[in-house]
Amino acid sequence: MSGSTRFVCLFYAITIVFILSVCWLFLSNIGYTDTRSVLELFGRPWFWKSVKLSLLTSFVTTIIAICVGIPASYALSRFNIPGKTIIDIVFASVIVLPASTIGLCLMVAFQYEPILKIQQALGFRVVHSIPSIIIAQLVLALAFGIKAWRVAFDDVNPRYEHVARSLGSSRMRTFWKVTLPLAKEGILAGIILAWTRAMAEFGAVLLFSSTFRNRHETQFSHITKFLGIDRADILPVGMWMEIEGGNIEQGIAIGFVLVIITFMSVYTLNKISGKGLQARKI
Amino acid sequence: MSQTKRSSKFIIILFVVGFLSLTLTGCGRKEKRLLFHAGAGQRSSLDEIAQVFQQRHPDVKVDFSYKGSGYFLADVTLSQEGDLYMPGEEFYLLQAADREFIADYDPKTDIAACFVPVIITPEGNPQNVRSVFDFAKPGIRVGLGDPKACAIGIWHEKIFQKAGILEKVRKNTTMDAKCIPELGNACQLKAIDATIVWATTAVLYLKDIEIIPMEPEYRELVGLPVAVLRFSQYPDEAKKLKEFILSDEGKDIFHSHAYCIDPTKTDEDMKWLVEACKASKDTSISVSEQTVGHLVKEVKRSRETRR
Amino acid sequence: MKKHSQLKRISWVIFFSSFVVIILAGIGFLIITNAFFLGFGDFLYYLQKSRTWINIVTTIWTASIATVLSMFIGIPVGYILSRYKFPCQKFMDTLIDLPVMVPPAAVGLFLLGLFKTFPLSGMTSILGIKVDHALPGVIVAQFTVTVSFCIRLTMASFETVSPRYEYVGRSLGASLPYTFFKITLPLAKNSLIVALIIVWARACAEWESLMLFVGGIQGRTDVMPFAVYLDFVGGKLGWALTTSMFCVLIAIVSMYAVYRIGGKAHVR
Repeated sequence: MSGSTRFVCLFYAITIVFILSVCWLFLSNIGYTDTRSVLELFGRPWFWKSVKLSLLTSFVTTIIAICVGIPASYALSRFNIPGKTIIDIVFASVIVLPASTIGLCLMVAFQYEPILKIQQALGFRVVHSIPSIIIAQLVLALAFGIKAWRVAFDDVNPRYEHVARSLGSSRMRTFWKVTLPLAKEGILAGIILAWTRAMAEFGAVLLFSSTFRNRHETQFSHITKFLGIDRADILPVGMWMEIEGGNIEQGIAIGFVLVIITFMSVYTLNKISGKGLQARKI
Repeated sequence: MSQTKRSSKFIIILFVVGFLSLTLTGCGRKEKRLLFHAGAGQRSSLDEIAQVFQQRHPDVKVDFSYKGSGYFLADVTLSQEGDLYMPGEEFYLLQAADREFIADYDPKTDIAACFVPVIITPEGNPQNVRSVFDFAKPGIRVGLGDPKACAIGIWHEKIFQKAGILEKVRKNTTMDAKCIPELGNACQLKAIDATIVWATTAVLYLKDIEIIPMEPEYRELVGLPVAVLRFSQYPDEAKKLKEFILSDEGKDIFHSHAYCIDPTKTDEDMKWLVEACKASKDTSISVSEQTVGHLVKEVKRSRETRR
Repeated sequence: MKKHSQLKRISWVIFFSSFVVIILAGIGFLIITNAFFLGFGDFLYYLQKSRTWINIVTTIWTASIATVLSMFIGIPVGYILSRYKFPCQKFMDTLIDLPVMVPPAAVGLFLLGLFKTFPLSGMTSILGIKVDHALPGVIVAQFTVTVSFCIRLTMASFETVSPRYEYVGRSLGASLPYTFFKITLPLAKNSLIVALIIVWARACAEWESLMLFVGGIQGRTDVMPFAVYLDFVGGKLGWALTTSMFCVLIAIVSMYAVYRIGGKAHVR
């Protein structure tokens, strides 16, 4: 066996061992839960409310991220904005901020004196409310989304846009009919990425929104009751509370639900995105 | 080929170094380390106790793990580790005793100090809370503890039950805390309008809150139990620390952090607490035994910083 | 007519840029209110405390070990992924991505279970390594959540090196290891360093998986993000804010380093 073969074999071996250990990381925990407690968990209305709350907040978060993030990343990708380098550095550093810092920053920022006065004048408080979950999720979802969308727009050659423009198409039309379809793959990948990130948020929500399950019914508006998301927590927070409270079987079961959700979304992400985008993925 | 050998050797060396440094941090230290599970509310006083204790016993180091008292049961059940346990309420300790985690605990003697519940509100008391019954006013934002997680949660229920307003207070609850300082934080940041915490938690926030003593009929003193755990690695040292906590010197440290050590003097303690709250906001008041009593250290500490 | 189209162009640019401004204002709002709330005097005061520096040092060296370890996995796996194909490629890719995409809190929980089940529980007790309530656990957690991240980044670095250089080296008679160490690695050096910094910064920021896996021991396992949480729920808001501002500083400095070393393409 030549050195080259051995070398490739070694690298392959490391890769395979790594993939197997990832599988083992999750599978080794199956022993900590059983069908009975999974069924028990599925029988709890709290769990289904939490699933609904998680899905709903993460969808709203993703939609806000799309509305704000896609135009922003288009601007960053095409125009010469002054101070672009600084903006890039700031956006990139949000990704490597700890969740606890984000949660604490949000908490302090929204309770800062002038901001608090505005909230009081408008008659509502953001902290410890359901909309606060969306704000907490938005920070990281937006940061991850922008990164992916930026790559997607950068991959579209501006020449196509110039051609379309020179043929008399308006800017709006060019954007909708040329740029977006060309960047479709990357934009979709960014949307899934942002959604997965929003689903995964735990620390910031814990600090900023606290928990909801023990609050009285009167604390929730009719809309939340109608949607069936009152007295529920988002899944990662719910999982944490179950574990800390000593209910390990059901906590692990929620963990597996989260893993399955993530697996499906990441699989879709890998399915739709080519190698180029995957390689630069954050 | 020699190139690759050299580089692979390099990789192996790096691996070995990395591995060694890992194991060395795991077991390289000779000092005896005690792991102390304590409720998050006791943090300030226990930190000071550990400091004094470590000076007397240089070979012992005390590591603290602070959480909501109720959350330790799961932790200890899983890890089977730890030397001492000090929850904020006997209820949790008895639960641990039921699972046979406790080596020795005598409910008569092993109470280090007592918690005194007080009402706290954000600075300026925006909702004008004066008594326990004001918690039932509609529209006020109240923070309660989760009885499963922390000791204060149990007492919130007991106090409001006794006052007969538990259901009404529940309706006002906008926050459900996992450990007691969370309530203090929320109050400091004005996220809630009023809550009940231990006096020792309240002194952490002297500058940003108002302290209102409770009516004596609802104010109950809550014992702070301490016990050595069965799986202690250094039971002798753990015992020594426990004895130190229960000694008069230990009790004095607790007293200076606004615990109650003599139930007959609670009213006096409350008076000092209110004075301390004033003194830390108003710098014209000089800080001494005459003005703030036993809380001199706390007031000085709170004056050192803005937050 | 000309003026009209000029106006349109400008409004077009302004429309899109305004979204950048909105996001920037949001981030600025968060950081500036926090900085004002804390105040510079308090920041300096808490920086003089020894525990702040213990936390900072602990964070830096645990994150560094975790980064080195993830690089050892990341470089071979990233290289393989960028050059060769796997059966069920998408499925394998998904498995590789999982640890970074699953909620970190869940990763911490699964790590807790992993170290209590058969092979690893035996191995740790034989080797005398303590993972829960101890620093090795912190490193394991940081490693687990950063390694997938690291693989993606190293994979991207190797993609920037055209395989053609390797073919040339190979055709001139060099062995594959030789070409790898002498051609591919040096060519990918810059982007690998960038990957290293990003992974390090990400490891520094890991907290959620520590919550369930390691547990916070004051002065021992409380790396900076954990100290932020512990101080916040310990009633020391000023201290928590100081540490949190320091985390922000580390994030910005490391991203600036990425920009200086890797150039524009890497921070975008």
